[in-house]
Amino acid sequence: MNTKRIVINLLFIVTFIIIYFLQSNLFTWFKIAGVMPNLFVIFVLFIGLYANKFMGPMYGVCFGLLLDFFIGKKIGITAIMLGLVGLVGMIFDRNFSKENRITLIVMVLMATVIFEVGEYILGYFINNTYIQIWPFIEILLIECFYNVLITIIVYPLIQIFGNKIENEYKGNKILTRYF
Amino acid sequence: MYTKKKYGIVGIIVTIIILIILFALTNVQNSKMSYVENLANKIVMPIQNGLTYIKNKVNGNNSFFTDVSNLKSENKELREKNLKLEEKLRELESIKAENESLEQYLNLTEKYSDYTTVPADVINRDLSNYSKTIVINVGAKNGIKENMTVIAAEGLVGYVISVTDSTAKVQTIIDSSSSTSALLSTSRDSIVCKGVLNDDTQLKAMYIPTDATVSQGDTIETSGLGGIYQKGIYIGTISSVENTTDLTNRYALVSVAVDFSKLETVLVITNE
Repeated sequence: MNTKRIVINLLFIVTFIIIYFLQSNLFTWFKIAGVMPNLFVIFVLFIGLYANKFMGPMYGVCFGLLLDFFIGKKIGITAIMLGLVGLVGMIFDRNFSKENRITLIVMVLMATVIFEVGEYILGYFINNTYIQIWPFIEILLIECFYNVLITIIVYPLIQIFGNKIENEYKGNKILTRYF
Repeated sequence: MYTKKKYGIVGIIVTIIILIILFALTNVQNSKMSYVENLANKIVMPIQNGLTYIKNKVNGNNSFFTDVSNLKSENKELREKNLKLEEKLRELESIKAENESLEQYLNLTEKYSDYTTVPADVINRDLSNYSKTIVINVGAKNGIKENMTVIAAEGLVGYVISVTDSTAKVQTIIDSSSSTSALLSTSRDSIVCKGVLNDDTQLKAMYIPTDATVSQGDTIETSGLGGIYQKGIYIGTISSVENTTDLTNRYALVSVAVDFSKLETVLVITNE
């Protein structure tokens, strides 16, 4: 592994730590109607989209496991769902162009919905969660809006760092940029 | 030779005459000399005034430099004093916070004196919008085990779902995975309270017996059924009763006693 790749992977870990502290401190004060965004979904999707194949799912599972250890009710639920988000990122990368802001926003929306719905269903089976459809949809819609808002704000950063990471890992195999 | 001698005598005489005149002048009254004095003053005073002004200025500047030096040392002294005062203030604030925390522990312990308890602080909260677990700063080292009841000064908080050496995860009663078996304190009817997803202040009381009379303001406490919570721990009060066409489906909303958004100090009941 060359130095550049080591730096990229270290940056992923540092970003995870920063996001963890943002999510557990800053966003508890900046809630929209009592709802926080989910930066982990955006971050894992970003890795899935721009980094090497399987890096998205791999980082998703690792970060998810850590979150489950820190605060989760049962070990594995967040790991499975973040791993799935990484996989979704990988599939999106193969099939869609990331150069358009709208496409990226739609990807974030879909990833958020997949993550939260999946986690809620798994929670029902594993934790015996009491299903409340309308409150769930209400929270999900606000969370999607918040995630989209953050994506719009950090879009220039996603483009700059994403392209650098993609150039490093995919080099001349980048096809989506030309479609 | 003769000429030189002659000039010498004249010089002596002139000198003597001048001296005599000067001697005479010194004895003349000042008033008679005032016009001479005035004339001299008129010539000298402007110069004198100018010189005095410059001198005063220089003297003033000297005192300015001295003052700056004094001010500097005084400022340094005041800054040091300020730092010490700020440090003392911080210490006092820390003592105040510690005192408040200890007071809370004491109130809690007195209130629940029947139970053996371990005090703890909330150190982390769930990052998800759908789950309401908390992490406390006591663990297996402090004798904490899974399924132990967690309470606060106001009432029931939840129970321990997992333990590490120094921390424990607590599933709160407001989590949508929680089901708390409870009793209506007036009619002693048994109900089940479940967490509401989009509200941290209320529980949904379900499975209300068809013959039970539930009214707003009734207090709710744990029933002791289910093997987790001890009996008689206060949960909250009925805030509204929602009657449905089918009496078996009616439910009530319970305002929880604990303010979970501000929850900082809890007690873990270690009695088994």
